[in-house]
Amino acid sequence: MPTDTKRLRGPEVSQSPSLFLCRPPAVLPSQGPRADGRQRDQVDVRPVFVRCGLVSQAKGSAYIEAGNTKLMCCVYGPRETERKDETDMKCGRLTTDMRFAPFSCPERGSWIQGSQDKDFSLMLHESLQPAICLHKYPRSQIEVNVMVLENSGSVLAHAITCASLALADAGIEMYDLVLGCSVRQDGASCVVDPSYEEESNCSSGSSENQGGLTVAFLPSLNQISGLQSDGEMTEEILTAGVRTCIEGCYKLYPVIQQALAKAVRKAAPPPSES
Amino acid sequence: MATVQVSEAEKVYILHGIRDDLRVDGRGCEDYRHMEIETDVVSNTDGSAKVTLGHTAVLVGIKAEIGKPRPLVPNEGYLEFFVDCSANATPEFEGRGGEELGTELSNTLYKVFNNKHSVDLKSLCICPGEHCWVLYVDVLLLQCDGNLYDAISVAIKAALFNTKIPRVHISTDEEGGKEIELSDDPYDCMRLNVENVPCIVTLCKVGHRHVVDATLQEKACSVASLIISVTHKGTVTCTRKVGGGSLDPESIFEMTEAGKRVGKALHAPLMKVLQQEEHLGKKKQKVGFLG
Repeated sequence: MPTDTKRLRGPEVSQSPSLFLCRPPAVLPSQGPRADGRQRDQVDVRPVFVRCGLVSQAKGSAYIEAGNTKLMCCVYGPRETERKDETDMKCGRLTTDMRFAPFSCPERGSWIQGSQDKDFSLMLHESLQPAICLHKYPRSQIEVNVMVLENSGSVLAHAITCASLALADAGIEMYDLVLGCSVRQDGASCVVDPSYEEESNCSSGSSENQGGLTVAFLPSLNQISGLQSDGEMTEEILTAGVRTCIEGCYKLYPVIQQALAKAVRKAAPPPSES
Repeated sequence: MATVQVSEAEKVYILHGIRDDLRVDGRGCEDYRHMEIETDVVSNTDGSAKVTLGHTAVLVGIKAEIGKPRPLVPNEGYLEFFVDCSANATPEFEGRGGEELGTELSNTLYKVFNNKHSVDLKSLCICPGEHCWVLYVDVLLLQCDGNLYDAISVAIKAALFNTKIPRVHISTDEEGGKEIELSDDPYDCMRLNVENVPCIVTLCKVGHRHVVDATLQEKACSVASLIISVTHKGTVTCTRKVGGGSLDPESIFEMTEAGKRVGKALHAPLMKVLQQEEHLGKKKQKVGFLG
C-alpha cells in the first residue's frame, strides 16, 4: 500500500485521558456516609424529577432525572405490525430499545449497539411485558425507545420506571405501573440507588458479597416482573437485597402517580364550574 | 427458545402432575435428566467438552490466544464468550433466527463470570500491560430440548477443566523488545483451577411449584423462569428472571433457595466424574458424537 509520507498520522485508536491519570481514582470506603450524603443500609433513594408528555411527535413520552442520571423514553403505537406471524393474531407485540448516548458515560461509547445495550433492551422487555394488556391489541406493535442522556448509576431501574410512565402517558392499557430499583452490595453494607462511582467501585477490602441487583416491581399487584443480579453474593444477602428493592419501589410509587395525574390534568383539564 | 405447541388438555395434565411432584417422564420436581459429559473431543482446541442432557446437546471449545489486556486491568487476562445457535438444532435458528437467543445466552455468561473468584484471571497474565492470555469460549448448540443454560454451564466447567494452556517464556532481546517463546514440549502446560466456576440452574414456575431441568413441553406451560448460577460454596453469582410473566416475591425467595440447594449439590459429583475421566488418560474410551 502506498504510504502517505507528507502527513503524520496519530494512533488509529483513541483513548480516554482518564487512563493516563498519575494517581488511580480513590477507592470509595465501604463504611461511613456515601459521597452524596445519603445513608447506607437504608432505603435512601435519590429524589426523582419526572415529567410526561415532552415529545410532541410521540404517542407518549416521559423524562426522568434522579441525581445526575437523566433519561427519556418515547412510546409509539399501537401500530400495525410489518411481520405477520400466527402469534400476532391473538395479542400485540412489544418492542423495546434502549440506547446510550455516546457522551452519557465517563468513557465515550459508540453509536453501534453493543451487546450490553441489547442486554438492557431485553431486560426492559422482560420487565414491561407482564404489565401490559397485550391481548387488547391484536395484530399491533407497541414500540418503546429509551435514550440515556447521562449515566450516573442505576440506569436500568430508572429506565423501567420511565418506560412504564411513558406507556401510561400513551394511553396503553396496563395492569399496573412497573417501577425499578437497584441496590449494590459492598461487603457488609448495601447501598440503594447507587451512583456510577458506587456501581463500578471494587473495594479491595472484603472480597465476599460484592454485587449489584436490579428489581422491577408492580406495586399494587405485589409481583416482580424483572430481576437481574451479578457479582457474587450469598443467598441471604440476595433475598435481603430483593426486599430492600421492593421497599424502594414502594417509596417511589406516590411520586410517579402524582406526576402521571398532573400530566393527565394538564392534557385534559377538568371542566370548570360555571 | 425453540417452542413446541402444547394443547390445553396437555397443559392441564402436566400442571396437575407437577402439583403432585410427578413429571411426565417420572422425575421429581428437582431431578435432572440423564447427563453425559465427555471432554477432549475436538483436538484443535486447547480444551473442549460435549454435554448431553436428555436430548439437549452442547459442544464447547476453548482456544487460548495471546492478546493485549484490557486497559483498566493490565495484570489480568479475560474470557470471551460466544454462543452459536446453528440451524442444526431447530429450523427456527436458520439464518439470523438464532442470533437473538445466542446474544442472550452469551450476555448471561458474561454476567455469570463477572466476578473475581470464578476464574483466576491473574494467572492468565503474561506480561502486565502488554500480553495476556485471552480464552475464547465458543459454545455450539447441537440439539435443543430445553434447559440450555444448565447444559452450557456444565459444558463450560468441563471444558475449562480440560483446558491446557501452553507455557510461555518472556525473553528480552538486544534492543530491549520482549519476545515470547512457546515451550517445545507439547505436554508442558498450565491448567486452570475450576473449583469456583459456577453452574447455572434454571427453575421454571409451573402452576404453584417450580421444576428444575424443564423439557420444552414443561416450558410451554410455565410463565416465567429464574436462572440462578451457584458456586460449590453456595455463593450466587448471577440471577435473572426470564420469560414474559411475573413472579411473586415469595416464589422468588423459594426458587432461589431451591436453586442454591440443587446447584450446590451438582458440583461435587461433577468434579468427581471429571477427575475420574482425567485419570483414565489413554485408557479412556472415546464415545465421540455417535454414542
